This record gives sequence, structure tokens and C-alpha cells, in this order.
Amino acid sequence: MAIALAIAIGFVLVAIIWPIASMVSVSLTGEAFAVFERYLTPPQGQILINTVILGIVVATIGTLIGFLFAYVQVRVPLPRYLKRFMHLMALLPVVSPPFALALAAIILFGRSGLITRDLLGIPFNIYGLPGLTLVMSLSFFPVAYISLSGLLRALDPALDEAATNLGASRWRTFRTVTLPLLIPGLASSFLLLFVEALADLGNPIVLGGNFQVLASRLYLAIIGQYDLLAGAVLGILLLVPSLIVYFVHRYYAERASVISVTGKPSGRPAELTHRPTAIVLAVAALLVSLLVLLMYATILFGAFTNLVGVDNTLTLKNFAFVLFGYGVEAVTDTVLLAGIATPIAGLIGVIIAFLVVRGRFFGRGALDFGTMLGLAVPGTVFGIGYLLAFNTPTEVGGVTIFPKLTGGAGVLGGAVAIVLVYIVRSAPGGLRSGAAALQQIDPTIEEASVSLGADQSTTFRRVVLPLIRPAFLTGLIYSFARSMTAISAVIFLTTPSTRIMTQQILNETNAARFGNAFAYCVILIVIVCAAIGVLYWIIGSGTRIGRTADPTIAARST
Amino acid sequence: MTTSATVTLERLTKRFRSPDSREVVAVDDVSLDLAGGSFVTLLGPSGCGKTTTLRMIAGFEVPTSGRILVDGHDVSRRTPDKREMGMVFQSYALFPHLSVFENVAYGLRLRRRSGSDLRAAVERTLELVNLHGLGQRRPSELSGGQQQRVALARAMAIEPRVLLFDEPLSNLDAKLRVSLRSEIRRIQQQLGITSVYVTHDQAEAMALSDVVVVMRDGRVEQFGPPDEVYRRPMSRFVADFIGRANFLEAEVVAVEGDSAEVAVLGQRMRVPAADGQRVGETATVVVRPESIRLGSGELRATVRRSTFLGPLVEYELLMGDAVVVAVDPDWMGHGLHGVGEEVACSFRPDQAYVLPPGQSAEVAEVAPVDPDALAPEG
Repeated sequence: MAIALAIAIGFVLVAIIWPIASMVSVSLTGEAFAVFERYLTPPQGQILINTVILGIVVATIGTLIGFLFAYVQVRVPLPRYLKRFMHLMALLPVVSPPFALALAAIILFGRSGLITRDLLGIPFNIYGLPGLTLVMSLSFFPVAYISLSGLLRALDPALDEAATNLGASRWRTFRTVTLPLLIPGLASSFLLLFVEALADLGNPIVLGGNFQVLASRLYLAIIGQYDLLAGAVLGILLLVPSLIVYFVHRYYAERASVISVTGKPSGRPAELTHRPTAIVLAVAALLVSLLVLLMYATILFGAFTNLVGVDNTLTLKNFAFVLFGYGVEAVTDTVLLAGIATPIAGLIGVIIAFLVVRGRFFGRGALDFGTMLGLAVPGTVFGIGYLLAFNTPTEVGGVTIFPKLTGGAGVLGGAVAIVLVYIVRSAPGGLRSGAAALQQIDPTIEEASVSLGADQSTTFRRVVLPLIRPAFLTGLIYSFARSMTAISAVIFLTTPSTRIMTQQILNETNAARFGNAFAYCVILIVIVCAAIGVLYWIIGSGTRIGRTADPTIAARST
Repeated sequence: MTTSATVTLERLTKRFRSPDSREVVAVDDVSLDLAGGSFVTLLGPSGCGKTTTLRMIAGFEVPTSGRILVDGHDVSRRTPDKREMGMVFQSYALFPHLSVFENVAYGLRLRRRSGSDLRAAVERTLELVNLHGLGQRRPSELSGGQQQRVALARAMAIEPRVLLFDEPLSNLDAKLRVSLRSEIRRIQQQLGITSVYVTHDQAEAMALSDVVVVMRDGRVEQFGPPDEVYRRPMSRFVADFIGRANFLEAEVVAVEGDSAEVAVLGQRMRVPAADGQRVGETATVVVRPESIRLGSGELRATVRRSTFLGPLVEYELLMGDAVVVAVDPDWMGHGLHGVGEEVACSFRPDQAYVLPPGQSAEVAEVAPVDPDALAPEG
């Protein structure tokens, strides 16, 4: 217990608090004041305004699409294969690199886009707010979809029936019962999407054009100008709203989880029987699904052609480049580093979950909060924070107590920093799914183990861990997918000796070698899906105890 | 309040298609007449079609065929919101985002009631269910029993023509169940609203109802006042489901009017009988455990098992080759009998009943006493 606690506290302090604190302290120096002024007044102040506009637009549209998908999935009677198809399309963006859709959008709807120019013949500028809105809404709506469909499923169908029974029409029932019960969930989705949109780095770099946002400006400041001061200031501007919104979101998410009051939900889920409405909703969701399918088809097709739309000759040279040429190092490095980070993140997540849920010590809340910062704080902030905190060895009285981690001269060519960032970003997911699973386990089960003579660590190993195994493994899937597709923090930490796939995709895109970029995307998706497959196989072959806490699993299995 | 409505079910049938696309007949040709103001219970094991029948009356299921009439008007095609029937759900289905007051007011607001009129109506209803002063609470701040009362108040507030109950007490503990059921009965009689109540608990059904409808496999097995169904069950299933029963094999010796002379356990006796008995044929006699008297009589039995339950003692007796369950409420008077002991006993023929022909007596197993069923009315 004491060792676990020490590890947990050490992890939070070193890997999370220290980098953030480093960035904050830089931004509090005298010179920083002028930089703040520059970014808070016109013309540079526009960047902040752009960021907020993008966040609101993406969060609104993403939540609406997510709700549409959830409602159609749960309440609209449709053939099974159609629902499965839509469900699959809604989950594809989760397992793909963040700007795969941006690339497809350029090919399809760009200046020389297959659809905009060749098919419709209209000049359309995809770069900027419209393109970002399209791509980011499609990338982030799955988050809203997963949580809202879980919420809709949990609603007791008898609630709708009770309203109808008392004389309410269908629309009135929806307006006075269903919708109010979903408000906390909708608000929570909106806020989460807002934070995601704020933090997103990949799409604004690829598709932003002249529409600059904080994240892309920060990237430019660090990578282009190596201006750490500007980076720190922009990081603060990004950090503060993200944190506020994230914790408001948590408040709503907790309220959303206690919507059902009593009794066993009875009866079959209430289906939408009003045909015209059902058809309109189903068609809308289907169109979005087809758009997603079209974009992923473009990615797949693009990976097998020289330059999709210009030279459509089929070729394998893109894959040869990625798998046997220059790209192979990136593939192996990424898989290796993500593979190392995943189990560590999972274990740390579970240990902290156990401490937070079952521990009886002062500061449990702070430990929870500190770990969750890994998710709440935009990845770019960690990127710059790591550069500031770990770019030089830390010495106390001439003795190195912490080595240089970042840059090519850092420990293991900077690989340790990358793994650490992966862990920081994934551990919160493990913490939440672990905590949810632990809360379902009656504490008396552990007391029974102790009364039979097992000490606490034996109890944890022999009783708790097997019980939360499904949640743990689900957390691993999530963690691996997240690490493989991460870019916003890692992009600041890659070195010539540690290449990362997402960063290579960005390089290929900037060099207009779309074929290579698409091949990277396809391979990355395949790797993540294969990992999910393997973990499912492990889960499936094990004992089926308890419920999985991760909603993606619940959503997938139905 | 409202004048009591009569409800008529005419050849009501509901067929479902199961997931493996087999056809399931949930309700099969059910016809019933519910008198205005009466309290009718649909009773049966799970899957007997009682809930589907109730949901068809409420309008949540559309009958495959047949009609539902309220005061002679066909409501079968009306949507649930146009039926003026209050329903109490098994899960209560209280709106968690609304206060108790707003839950009860929900239906009234839909009927364009507002202001002091609305407030008075809600307060009156809350008072009726003994929830006065709890209007501002959230449903989640109430106990299970209180939530149940809110559900009842909400359904009654709209002054429905019919009240429907879908196993409303099944989520409560035994004591609360007993006290709430007598409260439901009190309020229903006070208001005189025609009520349909679904349950699988036979004690609840007997305690509440004017009429019990026993259902099995989608059909009505028997219906009538609880005492009549208890006393004159028309099948082994009914006898077994309502109360507890011993089934003894007998031979019909003579038939006279509504009773028959039978030979049972080596005795000849005159027992009330269902129609259709024929002399010389085998028949099944239902004997309730409480009509067996221990300590005297011409029957001889060996005690196989004895269970002490407090107000009464349950004995499993071997009579000839028949196993018979008897309960003794007067054990304080004449003491306990031990296992293996031989006791004299008798039963009153006028309290037994000969089932209609065709109810074989092969399995004479009786389930052990459910202590809940013995709990006194609270």
C-alpha cells in the first residue's frame, strides 16, 4: 500500500505536475507579460477568438451528430445490418490517426478535390473554418455518440410510457422527459468536445490555412521559431479554458450518471413509432455514415495509388516505403514505445483507481485530480512543459537527480520522454474505467479475503485484479489506441532517433506525398485494430466476470 | 370524482415474433367483463400474458385481434395518451428531473390546469397517499415506499377512468408490501376507480381484489371472487397457484347435484364437486392443508417432517401411500408431533372439492410454506 502510494504520488508529481508547473513559471516571468499582451490584443488576439469559435462550432455539431447516431441506434427501428454499419462508421475515427480525415477531405473537397472540382465543378476552399468544422466534427462525434447511447439505453423505457400514459404526445414526451434527462449528458459531451477541439493540433496544422488557432500557433512558435516563451504563454491561454471547461464537464458527467432513480428498468426500449421522423433521422445518420465511409475509402484507395485524383495508377510503392523503406523505423518505434507505455499506464491507472476508491488517506481527491490532469490538459501543453522541465538535467547541489530526457541527447534518444507522455495521456482512462469497475465490487468481498488471512497486496492480486480484469484490459485497448494515434504532445518530443508514425504522416503531408501519408494511416489503423482484436481474444478467452466499465466496449458488443 | 367505467375485453389476442422469428402467442383469445368500480387482479406465473394484457389495455401494445371497450366505446385504436388511464409502473418510472409536486402535476398540466387549482389538486392527491408536505423533494430523496406512493398519486391525479397497476409492489420488502397493498385498496374503494392489477403474488391478489383472473399460457384459466376461486378451483393449476393444496386420488361413487360421494383414503364421504363427474371414474380431490385436523379422527398418518413456523406448525404426513401437507394452528393446545410419530387426523369433506374430470393426480407435491403468505394484514 505504501509503495503503491509512493509510486502514484511520484508519477503525478514528476510526470504531470512538474512539466505544467515549469510552463506556468516561465509564463509568469516579466518578459512573458508583453507576450501575453501581444496574444490578447488585435491582431494576434484573433487567434484566441478563432480557437473559441472553432471549439464552439465543433462541439455543437459533433454533439448533434453524436446524439443523432445515439438516438437512431437506440430508438429508431432499423434492420440490424444498418445499425451495425452506422456503429462501425461511428467508431472508425476512434482508431485512426487524428488527421486521416483531414487528408481525405483535402483529396475529396480541396481546391482540386475529386468531388468539389471534378464532380461538381465548384471552386471550394476547404482550408480554414469550414474544412476544420467538417473534419473535426467527424473526428470527435464518436465521443458524444458513445456516452449518449449509453445514457439513452440506461433510460427506463417506463419513463416515456408514464408520460404517454398521463396524456403527453410523442413530441411532448420527448421535450419534457427524454430531453431534460439527457441535458446533463449533452452538456457533458459538448464540453468534452470543446476541450478536444481546443487541444487538437493535427487538423489545424493540415487544414487550418490562414485560420490560426492556439494549438497550431503554438506548434509554429516551438517548431518553427523555437520560441519557448511564446510557447509557454500560448500554452497558458490553452490551459486555463481547457481546465475550467473540463471540470465543469466532470460535474455534469457525474450528474448524468445518476439519472435513473429506482427499480429495475422494465419493458423493451421505447422505439420511435412515428414513421416520417424515424425516416428523416435514419437517412441523416446514414448520410453521415456514408460520408465517413467515403473518406476512409479515399484513404485506402489513396494508399494504393501514386497520387489519388491526379495519377490513379495502382501501386504498392507507398506500402513499400512505409513497411520496408524509410518508414519502417517509425512503425517499429511507435509500436514499441506505445507497447511499453500501455501496460505501465494500465497498471498505474488501476493502482491509482484502487487508492482513490478504497484508500482511507488524506489527499485522495488530489491524487485523482492530479492524474486526471493528464487528460484534461491539452497535449500541446505537455509537449512544451516536457521541453521546459526535462531539456536539462536537474541538479541539486551539483548532483544530477534527474537526467535530461528530451531531445536527441536525452536518455535513450528521447524515448523515455515519449513513453512518459504516452503514460500520462493514457493513465486517466485506466483510472476512470478501473474506478468504475471497483465501485461495482462490494468491499465485503475484499474483507472476506482479509478475514481468511490474506494481506492487502495478496487481496489486490488474487481478488481485486481478477475481478476488474475486463475493465483493465479494456483500459489497455483504449490506452494503446490513444498512444498510437497521439500527436499533440509527442510531436514536440520526437528526435531523429525516435520516429513516430503520426509525426511522419504530418511530414509526408507537408511534403505533399499523400500516398505515403495514406499508407501510414492505413497501417496505423490496421495495427490498432489488430491490437484490439488480440485483446478481445484475451478477454473472450478469460472468465466473464463483472461488467466492462468502458462504454466503447458496451457499445460495441450490442 | 369520475363515474366508474366498465371495461370489456373482447377476444383479445396478441402474437409476437420472437427474435428467432418464431411466433409466440402472448395473449390468446381473452374475454373479460370488468364491472365499474371493481378491483380486478390478473394473476399468474411469469410469461402467462398478464402484463401484455395490461399493456394492451393501457395502449402500449396493439392487439393482434380483439377489442377493448371502455363504457362500450372501442378504445383499441387509441394511442395511450388518449385513453385516460392512470398507470403505476413496476419501476415507478418517476421523472427523476422533476420534484414530487411536478411529477404529480405532470398530467394535470397537460390537461391545462394551472395556478391555485392545480396546486390544490396536487396537494389533495398527495394528502390522499399520505405524502403531505413532501412536494418539493426529488424522487431520489424518497424511500422506496414513498416513491411508490408518488407513482400512485401521479396516476390518480388525472382522475383516470381506469387505474392500471403493473406489479407495483414487487420492488418493496415484505412488510411494506403488505401495508401498501391495503392502502391501495383503501384509496381505490374511496375513489371507486375501476382498477386492473397485475401480480404473480397470490396473497396480494386475494387481499386486494373483487375479482381474481388466473392466467396461464396466455389464456384465462379461471376468474371469480378470491374466496370462490380458492374454494372451488377449476384446475390443479389454479388450486396450486392460489393458496396451497393437497391432491388426493378418489373414486366417484355417486353424483348428487353439486356434490359427489367419493371413496378417498379408504373412507367414503360427500364432497362438493365440479360438474361433469361420472360414477365409477377416478377424480381428484383438493384438500387445503388448513382443513386437515390433527389429534382426532379415523385417518391414520405418520409424521415425515415437521416445521415450526410460529403461528402454525407444518407437517408432512404419510397417509397410506399419499404424502399430505397439513398445518396446525392450534399446536399450543395439543402440543407438537415429532417425526415418525403416528397421529390420528381427519378433514372436513365440505371444505374439500372435487376437481372437474381430466385433472390427473399423479404429482402430489406441495411447495413449502412461504412465511410472507402468513404475515398478518398490516
